[in-house]
Amino acid sequence: MIERVLIANRGEIAVRILRACRSMGIEAVVAHSEADAQSRAVLMADEAICIGPAESARSYLSAASVISAALVSGCDAIHPGYGFLSEDDGFAEMTRAHDLTFIGPSAEVLERFASKAGTRELLAAHGLPMVPGSAGMLRDDEHALAEADRIGYPLLIKPSAGGGGKGMRMVRTARELQQALTVCRSEARAAFGDDSLYLEKWLERTRHVEVQVMIDNYGHGVHIGERDCSVQRRHQKLVEEAPSPAIDQATRDRLTGSAIKAALAAGYQNLGTLEFLVDREGRYFFIEINARIQVEHPVTEMLSGIDIVAEQIRLAAGEPLGYQQDDIRLQGHAIEFRINAEDVRADFQPQAGRVDQYVPPGGSGVRMETHLYGGYDVPPFYDSLLGKLIVWGPDREIAIARSRVALGELLVEGIETNIPFHRALLEDGTFLSGDFDTNLLDRKGAAAFLDAVATPERA
Amino acid sequence: MSEEAPGQVPAGVRDERTTGLYDLADDVLPALIARLRSSRLGELEVRTDAWRVRLRREGVPVTRTAASGPAVGLLVVAEDVESMGSVARSPAVGYFTPTPELAVGQPVQAGDLLGSIDVLGIGQEVSSPSDGIVSRLLVEDGQAVEYGQVLAEIDPIEADLEAADSEAGGR
Repeated sequence: MIERVLIANRGEIAVRILRACRSMGIEAVVAHSEADAQSRAVLMADEAICIGPAESARSYLSAASVISAALVSGCDAIHPGYGFLSEDDGFAEMTRAHDLTFIGPSAEVLERFASKAGTRELLAAHGLPMVPGSAGMLRDDEHALAEADRIGYPLLIKPSAGGGGKGMRMVRTARELQQALTVCRSEARAAFGDDSLYLEKWLERTRHVEVQVMIDNYGHGVHIGERDCSVQRRHQKLVEEAPSPAIDQATRDRLTGSAIKAALAAGYQNLGTLEFLVDREGRYFFIEINARIQVEHPVTEMLSGIDIVAEQIRLAAGEPLGYQQDDIRLQGHAIEFRINAEDVRADFQPQAGRVDQYVPPGGSGVRMETHLYGGYDVPPFYDSLLGKLIVWGPDREIAIARSRVALGELLVEGIETNIPFHRALLEDGTFLSGDFDTNLLDRKGAAAFLDAVATPERA
Repeated sequence: MSEEAPGQVPAGVRDERTTGLYDLADDVLPALIARLRSSRLGELEVRTDAWRVRLRREGVPVTRTAASGPAVGLLVVAEDVESMGSVARSPAVGYFTPTPELAVGQPVQAGDLLGSIDVLGIGQEVSSPSDGIVSRLLVEDGQAVEYGQVLAEIDPIEADLEAADSEAGGR
């Protein structure tokens, strides 16, 4: 059994993992960079250990520093959170070589699912429908153009490694494709150290729907339903909800059922999310698997009552799942709003600086996951996620009504945040109807949402 | 952002994103120099799209924090002088091994080896940040240390006295 966990991450997810550890009677040591010495997880932790300077490459991304920190602080496991080293099979292998438990899939499983193209091939063989795309990686521009002609425009250029929308471009013509290839290659190389790209057919008017799965080391697994992450800005998720307002029960059953079946057959382990595009006819296409805890996991927790992080730790320790699909009950509707330090009016430019005041919302079904506190200095070195507001209601309408109240109460002063955008989104007819696709924001422009609810200035 | 907090740019400078060279020399530099002088900072770096200025106090060893932040208009990189001037800090998280001769009272020069940090079997050197005398040891042989932890204090004044003493043939 795991007794002492090193949390090798920062921000809200470090706080989330710390709470899961505490509730399980597990001690937690928070590894942090110099810039995060005053982070809430560090202040809350049983013990904190500085692993390097602000620069991620020398702290959160330094495998040797993280493992050394786990060893010197007497931990027997490492939780990598999301991002950073969370899906790095080399790191998982190194962790095991030092007799530490990696809280996530094994190094072998991570390696098997490391390449997006390889994963597509593997899961297609186990029955998941794929977005039509290039056969393997693009060798050169000529190969790309030939494959593009075969698949048909519009197309999405995607990097094999990484995620978060980096190195991705939609192109409508051969000319656009040729121009974008160079940019995507250099973006992918800079972000992931790997510039291999592939092509996917761009499906118009699709939704982003993902399935959460949990599988133990003995081949028993369940899905915990789907999450709809269609409110995105340039491929970055902003709002997630469950159940998806866009699919009927029959589609839901087919989607979730085929996801868990394929993941089990392909030998997947631990926590994972299978991402799909769903078109207006209810056809779904697999895009990728995320082999880690995800930012939006609380949406599923609100519906299922399951502590997904605690389950992840339990499974990593080698415990059997201990329940069946029929034991999973999903109730009501939940929506998550990502609270980012971004100036919506200035093209979502990231913000840093002191949070003078922070007042969290409350009420029935309202949950706040954050590392914020009044007087906290948001460092400029990392991503802009300040926290997540998750709101549950017996149905979507009530969840939205409660969300309006909660977003009205939530106060973050001192720096610009995207809270005004979320408030405006909840007044938008298209969002409220539930009938929209991943292009909702980029088509309309975020400023249009703000303008729609702006009160005219008084003379 | 509070205007007085260390590590931040004076309000007057913040808006000068398109400042030309003349403005830089005439207005910005004097303001920055005054700012550095009145602060306890060892180094001050200001960037805009067009230029970058780094000011450093003489004789102050400075460890820079990374400046690869996102698009914040201006970025100042600085370290507190007092905390950096006369202490040897751990360059990594791991186990500390001192050199055999490391002891309180030992005279050292800047760059002298004081010990090493074992990170998964690979040693990382700990060296003295300045000339002086080891006035205090804060960790023991084999102790686990974190990044940036103070390992030893170096007293520069004692060194001066010692030098004076030696010259006078006192010892």
